[in-house]
Parts: sequence; C-alpha cells; structure tokens
Amino acid sequence: MDIVVCIKQVPDVPNIRLDKHRMTIIREGVESIINPLDCVALEAAVDLRERQGGRITVLSMGPPQSEEALREALAFGADQAILLTDPAFGGADTLATSHVLATAISMLKPFPDLVLCGKQTIDSDTGHVGPQIAEELDLPQVCGVNEIHLQGDSLVVKRLYDGFLDTFRVNTPALLTVSQELSSPHHIPLADLERAFSDREIIRWGLKDLSLKPEEVGLGGSATRVWKLHKAAPKRRGEVVTGSPQSLVEHLIRKLEALSILDEENGNE
Amino acid sequence: MKKTEMNSHSKGIWVFGDYRHYFQNRVTLQLIAKANTLAQRLGAEVTVVVLGEQVHQYAMEYVAHGADVVMVVDHPSLKNFQVETYSRLVAALVEDYRPEVFLAGATPFGREFFPRLAKRLKTGLSTDCIALEVDAETQLLLQTTPAFGGELLAEVITQNHRPQMATVHPGVFEERIHDSRAVGRIIYPEVDIHPDERVQLVCSRPEQSKKGYLENAAVVIVGGRGIGSGEQFQSLFDLAELLQGEVGATRPAVRAGLTGEDRLLGQTGKSVKPRLLITVGTSGALQYTTGIQGSETIIAINRDAQAPIFKIADLGLVGDAHSILTLLLEKLRKRL
Amino acid sequence: MIIHRESLIGAYHNYLVNNMLSPGFFVGDPHSQDDFYFLADIMLPEEVVPAISARLFDRQGLLLLELKRNSLAENQGHCTLETTPGGFRIVCPSDELLLEVNTQRFANGYLTRIKAQLYDGSNILRIEPLHEGVQVYGQACLALDAPFEFHKR
Repeated sequence: MDIVVCIKQVPDVPNIRLDKHRMTIIREGVESIINPLDCVALEAAVDLRERQGGRITVLSMGPPQSEEALREALAFGADQAILLTDPAFGGADTLATSHVLATAISMLKPFPDLVLCGKQTIDSDTGHVGPQIAEELDLPQVCGVNEIHLQGDSLVVKRLYDGFLDTFRVNTPALLTVSQELSSPHHIPLADLERAFSDREIIRWGLKDLSLKPEEVGLGGSATRVWKLHKAAPKRRGEVVTGSPQSLVEHLIRKLEALSILDEENGNE
Repeated sequence: MKKTEMNSHSKGIWVFGDYRHYFQNRVTLQLIAKANTLAQRLGAEVTVVVLGEQVHQYAMEYVAHGADVVMVVDHPSLKNFQVETYSRLVAALVEDYRPEVFLAGATPFGREFFPRLAKRLKTGLSTDCIALEVDAETQLLLQTTPAFGGELLAEVITQNHRPQMATVHPGVFEERIHDSRAVGRIIYPEVDIHPDERVQLVCSRPEQSKKGYLENAAVVIVGGRGIGSGEQFQSLFDLAELLQGEVGATRPAVRAGLTGEDRLLGQTGKSVKPRLLITVGTSGALQYTTGIQGSETIIAINRDAQAPIFKIADLGLVGDAHSILTLLLEKLRKRL
Repeated sequence: MIIHRESLIGAYHNYLVNNMLSPGFFVGDPHSQDDFYFLADIMLPEEVVPAISARLFDRQGLLLLELKRNSLAENQGHCTLETTPGGFRIVCPSDELLLEVNTQRFANGYLTRIKAQLYDGSNILRIEPLHEGVQVYGQACLALDAPFEFHKR
C-alpha cells in the first residue's frame, strides 16, 4: 500500500509569544514542531505499512526550514520525503496550498492508495487542506478518523461525529484526515534521528518542478486574504480577590448562590 | 402575511440547511437570522438549501425562522449527508444560481463539507467565524475568525471570488422567534443526483460511552498542575459531585498523571461551555483556555496573582488551592 | 441552465400538490354556482384542521355533493363522511373512496396529504393522486397567499 502523508511544520503554539505592537507572532526562539495530528497520521501510516507493506512518502509545503520536519518524519519511518518550497508559494491560503500539495501527489508514481493528513493544524486550525486535496484529486474522503481497518481493496474506518460513531467502507485510493485517538506516535530512537539529519536525502520541488504558474500558487492563487489582524477583546474582566481561605470561600459561596448553583441559605426553596 | 415577489436578479445569501439533530438545526436557525441582517445591507434575499429525503417540515421551519426562499432537493439517495454527493450537487446549484454569500455552521459536517465545496467552486472559505459584517465601502463580507488559539482575530475577505463562503461557530448568533404567519417561496430545482458509491456509511450509532459527559455538564471543575497530588485531585471530584458537575484537566495535569486523557480540555482536548467552570491551579495557558472560553461564568483559583487565568475569569481567588478546596468542601457538605 | 418548479410555502401548514408544498390551492372556480371546484384553503395559526370545500360530480356528470369547510352542505350522491384519526374521508355508496384528507402534525407545523381522483361535470379528470399528494389539471390556482374569500364585496 503506497501512502502519502502531508505534514506541516508549525510553531510550537503553546510557547508562542505575541508582538503586541506589530500584531504578529514572534517566531525567533520559538521551536518548530511537526503539527501534532500529522504525527498521528505518520504513526498510522507506519502501522499500515507493517501490516500491508508498501512505501510511505511524506510531503510538506513550506519555507526551507520545513526540511527539519521532513527529516524528523524520515526518522519516524517514512521512506521518502519531498519538500515543496518556492518563494512563489508564500502567502497561500488553503485553496492555493491544497493545489500545490495535490499537484505534487499527482506526480508520484505510482499514484498512492491512501493520503493521510492531520485533521487540523494547531496554528491555522481550519481543517481545509485535507478535503481540498481530496476534491482536487477526486478522492473520497473521511475526516476525523479514529480507527482504520483493512478489508480487501477497501478500508473500513470509524469516526466520532456530532455525537455519533460512524463506520464507513471506503474504496482506495482515498484521503483520510486523522484525529487524536487514532494512534499514539512512538518515540523516535536517537540513532534514527541522527541518521535522518546526516544521511537521508530530501527531495525539493519548486514551482517549475510542479509545472505550475505563479498565479496558481501563493498569494496569487489564493481567494481569501487577511485584511486586518487585531487583538481579541478581553472577554471578561472580573474581580480578583485576595484574603484568608475563610474569606475567599465565603466570597465563592456567595457567587455560587448568585448564579443559582446553590440555593441561598435560609432563603426560599 | 409576507408577500414575496419573483425577483430572479436578486442577490442571494444562501444558508446550508443542516437539520439532522437538534443542535445542528439550531445552528442553521442562527445563521438564517444573521443572513437576514446581511441581506438587508446587501439588498439580497435569504435562501436556505435543504437536501435530503422527506424534508417538508424543515423547509417550513426555515421559512418560519426567516428564510425568504427554501431550495429543496428531496430524493432517497440524499438521505445520508454524504460529502462527495452533496459537494457535486450543491456546486451545480451554486454555479447556476450564483449566490453572493454562502454560510454553513462550523459543525463537524460543515467543516468537512464546505472546504470541499469551496475547492470545487474555486472560491474562498473562512472557518469557524465568530463575526460577520458587510463592509460599508466595499460591500464585501468581513469574516472574523480566531487565529493562533484565539488570542488574535483575523478579518478575512474574499475579494474576487464568489460566493463568499464561511462556516460559523455555533452559538455566535441568535435565532429569530418562530413566526407561524410567515410565507416564503419554495424552489425545486431539477438536478441530476450522482450518489458517490466509493464511500458507504456502514452504520451510525449514538456514542455508547459516556464521552459526552464533559461537554454536556452544566458545571465543570478543572484541575491544573497546581494541584499537588492525586489525592488533592480527588477533592475536585468531591466538589463536582456536590455541585452535580464533571471534572476536567489541563495537559500538564494529565502529563503529571493526576487524571486521564479523556478529561483533557483545550486545543488538543475537549471544548466545554458549561454554565459554571471552576478552574483550580491552572495558570491559564492559551492552549487550555481556548477549550473553556465559551463558559458562561469562570471562577479561577490560583496562588499566583499574576497568572493569566485571572484575565479570563469572572471571579478570581488568589490563594492556596488545597486550603480553599478543603474549606469549601467542608462548608458545602454542611449545607447540602 | 437548471430549471425549477416554484410554489409558495407556509410556515404553519402546507398541502402537497403537483409534487410541491403549497399553503393553499384550488381547482376549478370556487365562486361558480353550479360548476366543479375543489378548494384546500389556507390554515391560519389559530386553526388546527385545514378547511376543504368542494362541489363534486360523478363520471356521468351528476352532482354528488357539496362540501363546505369539511361539512356536507348537499349530498345528492348519498356519500358518507367519516372522521379518521388524521382528518376525514368521503366514501361513495359503492364503497369507492372519493376523497381522503390526512393531516400530519410536526413539532411546529402541519402537512396535509390529500388522496382523490376527481372529475368535473364534463367527466374530465381534474385531480388524481401523485406521490403523497395530488396532481391537478385545468383551471387552478396552485398557491394561495391569503385565505379564500367566497363573498366578494
């Protein structure tokens, strides 16, 4: 089974800091990681390869430093890593990003049986890219998968959705986006990581390699753009109280009464 | 009764009619209300697109809640909301009728259907919007979405592509009251339906496990790394029991082994919107607070007066969690 | 170019006619003194049953009955009007079902399904079953936007 996993290098969002004056994210000194759900996808791919054989190709569209994420993916177990990088790709929304990724996937020989993506990224959080790649490549999709089983030429997958557990049978080739519960990414042995950074090759494809025109990618290939960016208004500004535990607990209990979580003592029932 | 006019050149604001369960239907009604506001600004009319089998009552309900037009495709093969089949069909409708704006709820279905549809239509989509406005000057739809975990808000526009598509965070807008006297137009387009056989829904059943318990609780007590031990974490369960609530945890607390992953709240865990959330020993890191900021009332307990959690709390208590909890439990047990 | 059929739709109550929802419709001319007509009137939010009025003929062109808002005003044909759980039905002496009206209740509204095969005074088919409702032929108004007024000022 030939599998493609799309990954994205993202800033380690929990540790991100904000430049409040310029309204941008301070990237200096912030670690970059593989989007956590993409690691889940990689683990699932490795698992499937163990069961079925085949090759895992990992793809990423990003600036040159995304190569680190791809090397990590190789250490994780991918057979081949391709970085889609070009200044022209910058400023892309998901429409343009999915176009670049889909074009790259369609150039792979043989065409993969399965494309895996994380359900969403921790930085932009849209969850668009998987479905949009699926649409461009005319692949059936199931999103938010938490179980994958093989059944002949098809896959039986499950996902938890709107309060329901859905089970689907999907013909391959197909695209699946994965959720947290699908697998627990294993730890990469240090030796594999070292080898990935020293010996392994990363293939790089740019605009020309993909035979794309500038107006199809990046800002030109995008339909949306961010017009303004501003700080979210603080939603609440409540009182902050200090004092002895007794006084704090009194305060808390009065609040619970005010919210009708507790009935007022000696009050009406 | 409203007299509607035949106006085929009217601009269209479309809303995708998801009626399947109570929650999704409510989101549709919220969108119809907002669509009406946008329609007034744009001189447009509101059309709700309803696909499925035996959808008469939903079409009626949408008119009652403000739809000018309902567009209905009623066919057995549309019974299950199937992304590929729906994308193909709705794209054909959009290409013919050319709406200006198309909205859907940012429910799990909306979030996997609308991107595929937007791609098919080669147009722009913003996701999980918390505000929508029409810009006075440009007449463009201003789509406000949270960015970087909600700390920033991005205003997104789709300048040159149509329709301008957006999925909207549930609960942001308020539905209009049901109006039994409303009359609207109903349109039945003659379209070919191509069910996609490559994906088959084998079965769908309500979750057996109690996984919905946190999301459905009216009261949630959350413990963070500031809770010193498993024993102390137990006091949160005691408090939850007294207040008829459920217990959640932050990532650091889960990592420290204080409780299980299924209670994790935040960006990579669950999101809750209870009536009351009491967050204890949590510093207030962004990837946690995005999971709780929808709560009606937040009470925070932390020994550090500078902890960011106090910025989003309605009431903050600066003190030692252990002492406060012990005393609180004692007092509550006496009166309950 | 997609073609579509179009009708009106009421928030509170609709019938199914020509495979479309409609708040009210009539076939023939309800104002006429002697001719065939069938009127399924608009149901107002204060009401809970739809009002059906009609002047019906048999295949020989003889007047069978006149229905005025669900009650028999004339009944030369000696038909029987029976109430049913969802509405009513009218049966001929030959046991043939002439007309059946069934109203389904939703959480916030009603839907009425009519079953009938009706000919006018010249033995021309004017109403027949189609899916869950009826198909109508000839002079008709498929979607009323206000309750029908019998007495013109």
